[in-house]
Amino acid sequence: MSTSGGRKLLGRVALPCFLMVGLLMLASLLLGAGNLSVLDSLRALFGRGTEEHSFIVFELRWPRTILAVLVGVTLGAAGTIMQSATRNPLAEPGLLGVSAGASFAVVLAIYFGADTAGVHFSTAILGALAGCALVLLTTQMRGAGTDPVRLVLAGAAFSSILISITTLILLHDQRSADEIRFWVIGALGGRPVSNLQWAVPGLLVGLAMVGATTAGLAAMSLGERVAVGLGHKPVLTRVLAMAGVAVLVGTATAAAGPIAFAGLIVPYFARRLVGPDVRRALPIAMLLGPSVLLISDILSRLAVRPYELPIGVVTACIGAPVLIAVVRSHRLPRL
Amino acid sequence: MSSIRLSPAVQRNRRTLLGFISALALGVSSLLPMPAAAQDRTLETAFGPVTVKGEVQRVITLDEGALDTVLALGMQPAGSVAARGAKELPNYLQERASNVPIVGVTREPNMEAIFAQRPDLIFASPGLEKRVYDILSKMAPTIVPTTPTTAPWTERNALYVEALGKQAEMEKLIAEVEARIEAMRARIEPGQTFSVVRWMPQGPMAMSSKLITGQLLSALGMKSTEPAEALGDRPHSDILSLENLGSVDADWVFLATLNEQGDATLAAAREQPAFTRLSAARNGRAVPVDGQVWSSGTGVLAANRILDDVERIVLKP
Repeated sequence: MSTSGGRKLLGRVALPCFLMVGLLMLASLLLGAGNLSVLDSLRALFGRGTEEHSFIVFELRWPRTILAVLVGVTLGAAGTIMQSATRNPLAEPGLLGVSAGASFAVVLAIYFGADTAGVHFSTAILGALAGCALVLLTTQMRGAGTDPVRLVLAGAAFSSILISITTLILLHDQRSADEIRFWVIGALGGRPVSNLQWAVPGLLVGLAMVGATTAGLAAMSLGERVAVGLGHKPVLTRVLAMAGVAVLVGTATAAAGPIAFAGLIVPYFARRLVGPDVRRALPIAMLLGPSVLLISDILSRLAVRPYELPIGVVTACIGAPVLIAVVRSHRLPRL
Repeated sequence: MSSIRLSPAVQRNRRTLLGFISALALGVSSLLPMPAAAQDRTLETAFGPVTVKGEVQRVITLDEGALDTVLALGMQPAGSVAARGAKELPNYLQERASNVPIVGVTREPNMEAIFAQRPDLIFASPGLEKRVYDILSKMAPTIVPTTPTTAPWTERNALYVEALGKQAEMEKLIAEVEARIEAMRARIEPGQTFSVVRWMPQGPMAMSSKLITGQLLSALGMKSTEPAEALGDRPHSDILSLENLGSVDADWVFLATLNEQGDATLAAAREQPAFTRLSAARNGRAVPVDGQVWSSGTGVLAANRILDDVERIVLKP
């Protein structure tokens, strides 16, 4: 599997993916909702623009471009590991209760009096981790921790509960939907730059955790007994993988809000390109994730100028049809 | 903000119909002898003519402008909806209201709570759904004006005043506000620009300059920014991209917040480089104000409160 053939394939796919990210990052700096042309942006990029244009390119577009790349890497990696660990090609990181937990925490904080503009990163990441911990605890209850199907079911059920309580609070509180919708849907623009200080360590820790599980997960795809025979510990691997996914998705959600479908479609494309082996799919997904996020973010800025759409709306609009097409036209590979 | 709007075509048809009905009503009423004592008054509401009889004792206000009006006229409503985004009456009206029962929220009045108050008159917001009207009008005459939120603020609540039969009192209150505006206008440097925004983490929503706040500030000789001017009948814009924040920059930027954490909102806005580079922010002229008055209020009490704020902020002592 991970012979020279596999490595060659990886290289052949990785380079174009890498170039695509670079091109999209450039596009992300040049295109936006502001009242300046691509040429103006280009001039600003080379230090010859007006003060206003330079500000838009470097202070507004550059941070969200970086954020799109970080969140894209995070969701791509989380989705791939999640699907591999649960052996379910349709598993979504959101199913761990992470997105629902983060939205719930934010809405709860607002309900208890915090101003929407004052809600901070820590609230969202605490909610994300609490949501995930509760889902994992639920599945641990009747000794079911090793059963991936139960994990997904528990996550789906638990997310539904959190979402309905969130809706209940929103209905009860009557605060205008405008104020909360960005936390319930997810957006890249206007996130404080200080978010990056939290997002980068979260990403690194999460990646280290899931990175350590790839060999085990690859062996487990051949069957638990084979994996045990090869010296892997399936339960430990799965728990570590899930915890890593929680850290990753918690970080992404706290940094940009819940972004639907990205964690679902990116691993699918990665496997189409390099096959189901998680050791090859993971790096490719980490390259494809930023591209998907960048494209969605650029569309979110151009669709309703001079306003912006939340990126979560765009990913859902792109992701849902892709998902339906995938389910209808291909026999899904078993992982 | 998201009250149901009728399409212009429907509104037009409705107006024609109303005109016809009212002409008919006028024609008929002129033939009948008018009763002198009971002072019955027939009003043209969004759902046709409604007759209010005699002195009103128990009025329910399902609209913030109606509540403002009732309190301004020195009455107490028998029940009212809570302020947008709150569980109680708007803060700026609380000192005048005593123990007014809450009968639901703006979007969802609680029918049983209203019925329990035994109302003899109900004031609802323009754009009330027919379904809700049908139930309310069985309990008491229900007044639904057709005036849009962007109508002149002195006309916005006129139908409520008429239903109470207190036009003379209201004219006096409005004249007081107008005199106050005249007096303040002389002290304000003319031509200063302003914008009223609701600040969101992803960017601001510009409030229309045709709301009461914009009308008052314009009357004081100040000038609105372009995006707030161009909204037409919409009460506020969508969330503006931070890239276009410069378009709402002005000599004065008022940040309307729906709860009392205006300072927290300002602090959060200050974390955005796009905000701190606004000239208003650099000059300390980006000021938090109570959104319950500045973005949702309407009426003479709201007007006076906005003028208080302008005195405090723009005309620093």
